[in-house]
Amino acid sequence: MILFWLLIVPLVAGPLAFFLRKRPAMEAINLAAFGVELCLAVALAGQVLRHGPVSLGNRFFYADALSALVVLLSAFVALVCSIYAIGYFRHEDQSGVLQQAEEVGGRFGIDKLREYYTLTPLFVFSMILVALANNLGILWVAIEGTTLASVFLVMFYGRETSLEAAWKYAIIGGVGLSMALFGTILTYYSAHQVLETDTLAGLNWSVLVGNAAQFDKATMRLAFILILLGYGTKAGMAPMHTWKPDAYSEAPIPGAAMLATGVLNCALYGLIRFYILSAKCLGPEFGSPLLIIFGLLSMGVAVPFILVQKNFRRLLAYSSIDHSGIMVLALGFGGPLGILGMLLHMTFHSVTKPLMFFCAGNVQQHLKTDLFQKAKGGLIHSMPLSGAAFLMVTLAVTGSPPFSLFQSEFTILRAGFAGGYFVLAIFFISFLVLIFSGFLVHIANLVLGEDPGLPPAETCRWKKISVVGLMAVIVVMGFWIPAPLFRLIQGAVGIVAGG
Amino acid sequence: MSFVPNPELGNRIITLMAALVLVLQIAAVGQRWIVSSIRIFAVQSFLLGAIAAVIAYFNQASHLYIAALLIVFLKAGLLPRLLERLVERIGIRREIEPLINVPLSILIAGGLTLLGYVVAESFYHPEETSARAALGHNTLAVAIALFLIGFFQMVNRRKALTQVLGLLSLENGLFLAAISLTYGMPLVVEIGIFFDVLVAVMVLGILVFRIRETFDSMDVSKLRKLRE
Repeated sequence: MILFWLLIVPLVAGPLAFFLRKRPAMEAINLAAFGVELCLAVALAGQVLRHGPVSLGNRFFYADALSALVVLLSAFVALVCSIYAIGYFRHEDQSGVLQQAEEVGGRFGIDKLREYYTLTPLFVFSMILVALANNLGILWVAIEGTTLASVFLVMFYGRETSLEAAWKYAIIGGVGLSMALFGTILTYYSAHQVLETDTLAGLNWSVLVGNAAQFDKATMRLAFILILLGYGTKAGMAPMHTWKPDAYSEAPIPGAAMLATGVLNCALYGLIRFYILSAKCLGPEFGSPLLIIFGLLSMGVAVPFILVQKNFRRLLAYSSIDHSGIMVLALGFGGPLGILGMLLHMTFHSVTKPLMFFCAGNVQQHLKTDLFQKAKGGLIHSMPLSGAAFLMVTLAVTGSPPFSLFQSEFTILRAGFAGGYFVLAIFFISFLVLIFSGFLVHIANLVLGEDPGLPPAETCRWKKISVVGLMAVIVVMGFWIPAPLFRLIQGAVGIVAGG
Repeated sequence: MSFVPNPELGNRIITLMAALVLVLQIAAVGQRWIVSSIRIFAVQSFLLGAIAAVIAYFNQASHLYIAALLIVFLKAGLLPRLLERLVERIGIRREIEPLINVPLSILIAGGLTLLGYVVAESFYHPEETSARAALGHNTLAVAIALFLIGFFQMVNRRKALTQVLGLLSLENGLFLAAISLTYGMPLVVEIGIFFDVLVAVMVLGILVFRIRETFDSMDVSKLRKLRE
């Protein structure tokens, strides 16, 4: 029953906001819906921990520890983004950016806000559906759904650049997902000969995983490659990453933060589900090298663009490409340690990354630019809170020791050495160090330095709550991870590693 | 006494129709008029619906009838109608300017068809003599060829609307693969996919319209502000 409510809450909240029209009402609905969603996600995690997998409707919806983890992360990201969105859009409204966007789009009034508050819950609904769908076909439909709901978020401001970004996002995403659909069809085909069933259950992951060992090997090989390319495109792995910097720098900040964490998790979740099948059918030796190549390539591609980046919103996108590379690499290293590293990284990344977007958003709204060149530095004087938070979250995202991402990256490194990948592990470290230095130079130049004499930024209550709240969570997570959460992650590792 | 359809005959009909689908796809590559590309797509989708119905009839896979109806209604009826209206609103009839000239494009399409046969060969198990294996072999090759040619069309064309058409014929290839390999996906999944395709075309249609309004052109090579 809990699965039903998890899906129905965002599905109702979207249309509700569409009909309410008044800004306070839309904000309240959005906040309330995602607050309830997070509570439900925590309840689901508790239920999975106590009683094992939960299912609904003849196993049409199915949640094990891995799904519960992804649901929890999606709901968390949705809630913090909705808190920040209130402050962000009020500021946009006051400074007249929204009105401009409406004129470009040929509309007027509060329509832009309505668009955001209607689409975001639908977006979150598809993300939750990704994690809860047992059927791999429905999983695909839901991932495509996240694309369709978020295209409008990318073209939100209606500028020429937004349209360009939205076009790239829709077309590259569309081609990528059609490859993933082909992979899904081939998986169904290879299972079809074993299961001899034409019913829905023939694509249910919980059924497939038990029989994966007998699937047709040649078909599964091709299927896994197509899935890797398809969901890899959605996760923004190199060389299919080109939509990412554009989409992330054009979408409104809360939407971009959800793309960078929620959608990334969903795409990787799809990849993991197929990886489990392929590992059972072909052994992990088949998938691992491919995952390692794509993972390292993504990290490597991100390095030069981070080092010479001129635009701090695009910088965040390359960081996201880097992190998706890290996670895929960890899956490729494999073994319980590599998978633990990947899932820890997914958790910590989802908690940390939104703050980085929020700080970038605050800076952008204050300076009215997203170019490093035009920002003269010394932001700490005019915006002490966001400046300090930006510096802190930079250290956190690049994996510096007191913060949690260091632990996950260290785990992945250990997995690399344990798996005998010495040379690759050295590449991994050097990419991390280069990205760390690039980030630190950029953000330190932006935040520190002499006071350029900017007026102090006005601080909105909602922005403060989201920034300070996330800072607290990040600091706490650096030293202590709640025992039930860790048990959930361990449960998910068990599913990926052993089935 | 019940009439048992002869699967051998069914296979021949299906192979013939699949060949026609492929011919249409190659014709679409050589097309210079956007409206005729849309119509070719409509006919191709109709043929796919017919193939699905024939497979359903000869193999007693009754859920495929619904998929057949859906594809005929959506891809042969509704989507071409929507796209043509979009073309009318934009007010441009002749829009296709391929990067590679037509004869070479058709040659490339032929090469991709060959590649489709090579890839499909790896799925062919001669020891399996069931109707399904034989059916899969020929139509799967066509399906992979459709997929690859659709991909090529998207790369080869600069106009936003023709890229959408490329994406749609790529999807047609997937539909053919699904019905020839496994008699279609489970119905719920099939409906979900159709729904997604429909929404995707609407989203892309809105985007094409906005791009056309903002840039005064549908040439996606004009979308080049976002560069490093």
